[in-house]
Amino acid sequence: MNKTGFIGSMFTVMRKELRDFTRDRRTFLLTLLTAPLLYPLLFLGMNKLTNMRVETQLEKDMTLPVVGMARAPNLVAFLASRGINASEASADYEARIRAQREDVALVIAPDFAADWHAGKPAKVEIVADTTRRTSDVQVARVRTTLTEYGQAVGSLRLLARGVNPMVAAPVNVGTRDLATAEAKRGIFLSVVLPLVLMLLAFIGGSHLAMDTTAGERERQSLEPLLATPASRGALVSGKMLAAVTLGLASLLLTLLSFKFSASVGSGMASSLDVSFVAMGKLLVILLPLVLIGTALLTCLAASAKSMKEAQSHIVWLMMLPMLPGYALMAYPLKDTQLWQYAVPFLSQNQMLVKVTRGEMPSATQWAVYVAASVVLAVLLWSVAVWRYRQERLAISG
Amino acid sequence: MIVAERLRKTFPGKGKDKTPVVAVDEVGFTAHDGQITGLLGPNGAGKTTTLRMLYTLMTPESGKVLVDGVDAALDPNTVRRSLGVLPDARGVYKRLTARENIEYFGQLHGMGAAAIAARTARLAAALQMEDFLDRATEGFSQGQRTKTAIARALVHDPKNVILDEPTNGLDVMTTRGLRGFLQELRAEGRCVIFSSHIMQEVAALCDRIVIVAHGRVVAQGTPDELREHAGEANLEDAFVTLIGSEEGLHA
Repeated sequence: MNKTGFIGSMFTVMRKELRDFTRDRRTFLLTLLTAPLLYPLLFLGMNKLTNMRVETQLEKDMTLPVVGMARAPNLVAFLASRGINASEASADYEARIRAQREDVALVIAPDFAADWHAGKPAKVEIVADTTRRTSDVQVARVRTTLTEYGQAVGSLRLLARGVNPMVAAPVNVGTRDLATAEAKRGIFLSVVLPLVLMLLAFIGGSHLAMDTTAGERERQSLEPLLATPASRGALVSGKMLAAVTLGLASLLLTLLSFKFSASVGSGMASSLDVSFVAMGKLLVILLPLVLIGTALLTCLAASAKSMKEAQSHIVWLMMLPMLPGYALMAYPLKDTQLWQYAVPFLSQNQMLVKVTRGEMPSATQWAVYVAASVVLAVLLWSVAVWRYRQERLAISG
Repeated sequence: MIVAERLRKTFPGKGKDKTPVVAVDEVGFTAHDGQITGLLGPNGAGKTTTLRMLYTLMTPESGKVLVDGVDAALDPNTVRRSLGVLPDARGVYKRLTARENIEYFGQLHGMGAAAIAARTARLAAALQMEDFLDRATEGFSQGQRTKTAIARALVHDPKNVILDEPTNGLDVMTTRGLRGFLQELRAEGRCVIFSSHIMQEVAALCDRIVIVAHGRVVAQGTPDELREHAGEANLEDAFVTLIGSEEGLHA
């Protein structure tokens, strides 16, 4: 009788699953093209919006409702010279800010003129809702301009009294930014790109993985398959290999579309590192995640009673890659400790951020990362194979 | 040759009282080469479970299965190689053509392309499936699907053939064609086991009949022996008597 090798059966299964899946045109195209087509839209759209916000709010003239304009004509004139046009505020300015009809207002205290002439600090108040992000830029702009005015007047007063203004500035605080140029550009990338790529790598091949396990069982073709001499390990591996191939293909297309959108984008987008070397590094970092995701899905789908049950796992699986992002937002970690490179998702996040910043993870970090990922993937693979050896799995319906 | 020895299988009970369900108990029979052995019994008698133990999908709790002298528990792979199985679940891959379905199983059995093509041609002729061989199986009739599943199961030219209710849902003409095919398999010297709940079908085809009810073998032998055993001239009456007496025992 003919002998069937493990590798031979594995590739037979993989070829068949891919052929079967590609025949389902619509699902196939959706799986492969959704992310590559959506990503440029997301990327270029966000880039455009960011640029627009900065341009309109920082450089254009703005109008500032002011209470008690007549009390400080010099201040109003100074504001106007910085492109901030004051106008008399209506009586309900507080309500208008709460309703977001105004972003920010300025209140000049009634005794402003008296304090001013007495040489006491004269009070002005910036009124804004700090929980509204739309007013951030304007509030900062008004605050900076007021500080500038205060310092200018202060210096003049000291000069009038025959004192060098430098006496009142004993410490000169400056900031030297050590971030590399690539890192500055990568700030935007470090938020959006890792999440999109991780999500895609993790569940990109999910449909195929579930269809070939839970779906096959539901369509009653698993029992005949398990009656063949092909080993269970080879069957599971072939199915997982097919899903990994699909996941990688979709990831590759997304990276290409990322490269394309970065080259047509303007502003920040055009200065990103999109060389093929950088893309290659991203791909190498994401490969273990594709393996882990496929193995985890195969485990879950193999124990699910139906395709529906398998699909309902997707909701919490989609949350997983987001967790480190949120955790880091609440509690930022330095990416130097080695243990971080052994934690799934956190490690990918740190590695991706490093690469998009134009840095290279160290050899030890690479070693820990690859070893931890491979151990996890192999562990999940063994669980999937063990599930396939169980009698219960074979009996459908 | 397939030998089943005192097979027993229980399933964990569901619901409040978790009493295990005994699906098959002390089932034993021998199916010889060049003969068709029929497993006859009402729905839920334990036929499918028995067959599943024969083709190594389930491990019996006690008892053993020997296929051509090989213990299925010790060397399931050799057993699977010498078996052609049409299980109760007979889903075909609907986006592949009938030929591709057959080819896939041939490859899993480690056959070369030429061998698969030759064998597919022979089976397609024998099962009269030439006109739909290269169509995608989506939209196949029940008969076309069953034929595809049978061809797929027999692509590796197995010595032993196990068919679980092969005529289920087929029309009269297709059933007749299938009967002829099973007789050919017998003439080629293969050991054929098939299960059915239809008495006439078993009577028309089988050299030996094993009657199963409530997970136990009620009677077995040639049709003549069964008639004699039940004291009835007609096989259908014999069947009713045999099953009925068993149910009487339970009451």
